[in-house]
Amino acid sequence: MQHAQAGIGHAQPSPLDEILRIENLKTYFYSREGVVRAVEGVSYGLRRGQTLGVVGESGCGKSVTALSILRLIPNPPGKIVDGAIYLEGKNLLTLPEPDMQALRGNDISMIFQEPMTSLNPVLTIGQQISEAVILHQRLSAKDAMNKAVEMLKLVRMPEPVRRAKEYPHQLSGGMRQRVMIAMALSCNPKVLLADEPTTALDVTIQAQILDLMRELQEKLGTAIILITHDLGVVAETAERVVVMYAGKKVEEADAAVLFANPQHPYTQGLLASVPRLDQAATGARTRLTEIKGIVPSLHNLPAGCFFAPRCPLADNQCRQEYPALRDMGRGHMAACWKAGQNSKGVA
Amino acid sequence: MKALSSAAGPAIGTPPLLEVSGLKKHFPIRKGLLSRTAGYVYAVDGISFTINARETLGLVGESGCGKSTAGKTVLRLIESTAGSVKLKGTELNRLSRAEMRPYRREMQIIFQDPYSSLNPRMSAGAIVGEPLTIHRIAAGKEKAERVASLFERVGLRPDHMEKYPHEFSGGQRQRIGIARALALSPSLIIGDEPVSALDVSIQAQVINLMMDLQEEFGLSYLFIAHDLAVVEHISHRIAVMYLGRIVELTDKRTLFDNPLHPYTEALLSAVPIPDPKIKRDKRIILKGDVPSPISPPSGCHFHTRCPVAKPECTQVSPDFREVQPGHWVACHLR
Repeated sequence: MQHAQAGIGHAQPSPLDEILRIENLKTYFYSREGVVRAVEGVSYGLRRGQTLGVVGESGCGKSVTALSILRLIPNPPGKIVDGAIYLEGKNLLTLPEPDMQALRGNDISMIFQEPMTSLNPVLTIGQQISEAVILHQRLSAKDAMNKAVEMLKLVRMPEPVRRAKEYPHQLSGGMRQRVMIAMALSCNPKVLLADEPTTALDVTIQAQILDLMRELQEKLGTAIILITHDLGVVAETAERVVVMYAGKKVEEADAAVLFANPQHPYTQGLLASVPRLDQAATGARTRLTEIKGIVPSLHNLPAGCFFAPRCPLADNQCRQEYPALRDMGRGHMAACWKAGQNSKGVA
Repeated sequence: MKALSSAAGPAIGTPPLLEVSGLKKHFPIRKGLLSRTAGYVYAVDGISFTINARETLGLVGESGCGKSTAGKTVLRLIESTAGSVKLKGTELNRLSRAEMRPYRREMQIIFQDPYSSLNPRMSAGAIVGEPLTIHRIAAGKEKAERVASLFERVGLRPDHMEKYPHEFSGGQRQRIGIARALALSPSLIIGDEPVSALDVSIQAQVINLMMDLQEEFGLSYLFIAHDLAVVEHISHRIAVMYLGRIVELTDKRTLFDNPLHPYTEALLSAVPIPDPKIKRDKRIILKGDVPSPISPPSGCHFHTRCPVAKPECTQVSPDFREVQPGHWVACHLR
């Protein structure tokens, strides 16, 4: 919106090595109670081979953004009302549906949070992985099944030949997520959208899956958008981070910068409110820093900055006018009137 | 603060508030026309721990390790298969339903899901007041006053009493659950994943509230959760569970600085830390999945995934021993 001053954000995709750019995306849902602005003018770019973390709490619009990229928003009630999504310079929002179909699962694919409900319970694992390969790469059924076994090997599924003949209910949660990853990567996509890929998994299994994703990214060079509420997962995997709140991007920076020097009071609050294992070692039981109040309902957003009612720094300007994104230098952007004035730790 | 000392056994002098020993819960698996028992789910397979007055014991483990069943078996919401649960010295497992009632006042529970654990047809005030009616503690105006003060104490407004659960956010519902648990002035509250369903910013509010209430009312908590960072934050001592058994139990600092069980080590190293500057030198990635509690592995339950397992681990189940004062571990190698 307002970040043209930063040199990016023109109608054309940026000349950087960005593979995907979302520009001023607006996705609304029309319900009986009114219009829900789930995504309200969000822009961000994804570089080749990079992992971009998108963080926020439930209802902040992080998943709707991902579904919008694939044009999977159910219509009605949802609709992409404005914006552009460029994949290598091509605007996906103006593509005819058959072209979009050729692209889904091929150029861009997605891993969902709940591997059980995202897999078809009446098809074997092998058949499900083959499906995309037969469709997009025009392999024969037999070759596609061989490819499926090869993919299962790649995601380090034990006994891949036998597992390919099994059904989703015969697999554990971690193995199902491996299947999802195998399926998503089977056509060697340029962009992988991972929506809370490890949230439903136990920590030891989460460590396995994150390790696998990192390894495969190095091997295949896939660019990943990792959507999560877990700041720990983001810190360990992402090079760049977008923070969302109530349908808006409130901050974006390189991961190292964001965690060391967050500018938006929401980001600062989030980081301070998470109990940290490495700090618990002191043995002390201290109070956590809270963010007061609750996330506003998207039906009834406050005037001015959406975070103002919960913000310790809010003043009259914040309560009246929504702040534009400002570049704080080196691509560190924050949408806050107070950004740059306070260095760290509002508490 | 003496009670916070790191004794897993009874502290010297004062007996512990809760003493659990050898607690087992095996669920029968019934099959066929005659519902014959075809096997058992060994959900809780002989666990022992104590909780002192004003103390928080964290119980961590991954899904299916039996931690929730353990909590419910302590409360006798599920009847145990074997073992003993003593509250203030009284053996609860031998009591009849009627004899059990006064002890139910002493032990309350907060559930994980604030959506399904509140009756949607009752107002928030009626939900919090119900225990007072059942235990004939207060009625009429007195009850209303007590409920109102409970609402205020957990950070809800008294005018919220008229509202129904669907009108509240997740964090507010969890506050209602906490108010209900507090209504009978219990000495022990079992929190079964009380913050796992909440957003990060709300999670901190509820954790702080629980810690404040502990100070104020001298509560003891059995805090059951899978999130090690949360447990680490709120607990004085921590028990780590794996496939129905406690594998390690000690105060939180020792657990973090000097974990002895290979499973604890792996669990600690698997937790992502929200700081990209911290690069871990060694992350232990466990192979495979947690085996089924229907047919747990022989010997040490962890040997199938253990990076340092020896032949004897596959044969002999290790004893749960006190290796240093207050530090209990079940491993042949430590």
